[in-house]
Amino acid sequence: MKLELLLSGQLFFSALVTGAVYVLIGLGLNLVFGTMRLLNIAHGEMAMIGAYLAYWLFALWGVSPLVSMLLAAAVTAAFGAAVYKGIFRGLLASNMTLVRLEANSLLVFLGIAIILQNAAILIFTGSPRAYQYMDTMLHVGGVALTQNRLIVLLVAAVIGVLITLFLRFNIYGLAINAFIQNRQAAMMMGVNVDKIQLMAFCVGFGSAGLAGALLSMLEQVSPYMGFSFTIIAFVMVILGGLGNVFGGMVAGLLLGILETYGVAFTSPSFQLVLIYGVFVLVLVFRPEGLASMGRRL
Amino acid sequence: MGLVAALFAAMAFVPALGNEYLRSVALSLAMWIALTESWLLLSGLTGYLSLGHAVFYGIGAYVGVLLWGHVPLWLAVIIGGAVGGASALLVGFPVLRVRGPYFVMLTFGLAELVKYLVTWIEAGLGQYGRIVVGPPSLNTLFYFMLALAIAATCLTHVVSRSRVGYALRAIRENEEAAETAGVPVVYFKVFAFVASAIIPSMAGVVMMMRTTFFEPAAAFDPVVSFTIITMAMIGGRDNASGPLVGAIFLAIVSELLWANWPQVYMIVLGALLVSFVLFARDGLVGLLLQKRKASAT
Repeated sequence: MKLELLLSGQLFFSALVTGAVYVLIGLGLNLVFGTMRLLNIAHGEMAMIGAYLAYWLFALWGVSPLVSMLLAAAVTAAFGAAVYKGIFRGLLASNMTLVRLEANSLLVFLGIAIILQNAAILIFTGSPRAYQYMDTMLHVGGVALTQNRLIVLLVAAVIGVLITLFLRFNIYGLAINAFIQNRQAAMMMGVNVDKIQLMAFCVGFGSAGLAGALLSMLEQVSPYMGFSFTIIAFVMVILGGLGNVFGGMVAGLLLGILETYGVAFTSPSFQLVLIYGVFVLVLVFRPEGLASMGRRL
Repeated sequence: MGLVAALFAAMAFVPALGNEYLRSVALSLAMWIALTESWLLLSGLTGYLSLGHAVFYGIGAYVGVLLWGHVPLWLAVIIGGAVGGASALLVGFPVLRVRGPYFVMLTFGLAELVKYLVTWIEAGLGQYGRIVVGPPSLNTLFYFMLALAIAATCLTHVVSRSRVGYALRAIRENEEAAETAGVPVVYFKVFAFVASAIIPSMAGVVMMMRTTFFEPAAAFDPVVSFTIITMAMIGGRDNASGPLVGAIFLAIVSELLWANWPQVYMIVLGALLVSFVLFARDGLVGLLLQKRKASAT
């Protein structure tokens, strides 16, 4: 029976879907952390905001989450821009040491996360919400799957590819990449620091909002969902390597598979133990990421 | 230091007033002082910001509820402290290798992991909450907590002025340089970690007897960690009298808001954290000193 579960296409498919959403969430955190060394603890909160936006637009006016996800991306990107202009532009421009900057920005993000989470509880109450959208069953090659999962997988893949292309071929994307690799050198090459940082904030926050809206099609929406997504995104950044988009994708898919199979073989109540367990193990034993596996002696 | 002694002396007379409400406020004030002073010993001096001190408080509470009825309070408090200190010693070596924002996230992740593990274990045992039957009187608990607050304040004060304190600050400013200069950084860091874990665990035991109902989600509530950090930031990071100011300030806010509007309290907490990190890096004490200096010149 366990073997059957292991080989079931259904389970693999659902692992893939979870992984794809994780990839999207991790991508955004990696951009902000990679370019500026700012660890956005409020990252998961952006996904929460996106999820609530999609939920309410659907519940009130029947707006398709595929439309509202764009709005979610826009809203959270705007929030990113506001936070950057209001707080972090000044912080980054000050002559603080990197250690101080990292610690201070982390605490500021923590404060923002706390504020957003509790504002969400005040406004929406703490009880989880869910809606049904395109949940008809499809049968593809003997595997039964719901339509919405397929859509989420496709959309996440498309967005992931788009962001990768942006980083590879677009001039701004290349500049972000250069920033991740070597900030000083990029600045000397005449990269517009302010513009790139603003862009990283917008793309980073926006992709998290979009991922949250997508996720709301599959899972319950609650004000408490943010922290675990931040943790998941952080695991991906570490496993995949700082600023390494491809590595992050592999790590996200791995994590999705690990979580789905882990929960299938134990119990849903084990899910959070699993996520945080992986997180702690990764940080303690492999803080330099998977890519350096062979290189380290 | 005279003011600090006067504060504790004044607190010792609170039970004589006989007012139940005042005593419970004084109890929680003493608890926050004990927790924040202990936190400062590690994070204020070494710069390793712990976002997971709730875990020691929770461990203490768990030990307390398991032991109550079998041993007297003072023994339970000592055992709680020993268990907390031993856990810190156990994880200290691997955890303290991790630095900067990674360390912050790791401590948060570890605390959450322990919370979900205990939840999972308790659910496996068929326990959905445990109750303390026949707890000690409020006065007894208050004196225990006051002793812990005084002990924590003295410990942090003494350590920060000792050679160890200078070594810990050297680690904060530049760990490589400290190591090169011959400071055994690993042992000092682990020492600070263990020392900062013991009193919060003891405080957990005492507070357990006050709340009387054990539930993992409440005992290991990350809000405790957030509150500690915010109190320390309000108080200023590198001064044993700072946490007193921060704790008094926040305990008043919490008394006014927590019971009736917990979300509003959290939002205020987040806003305070953000504003103190951004605008008053040396805390309220620093602000006052600055004013005095400005008016003197």
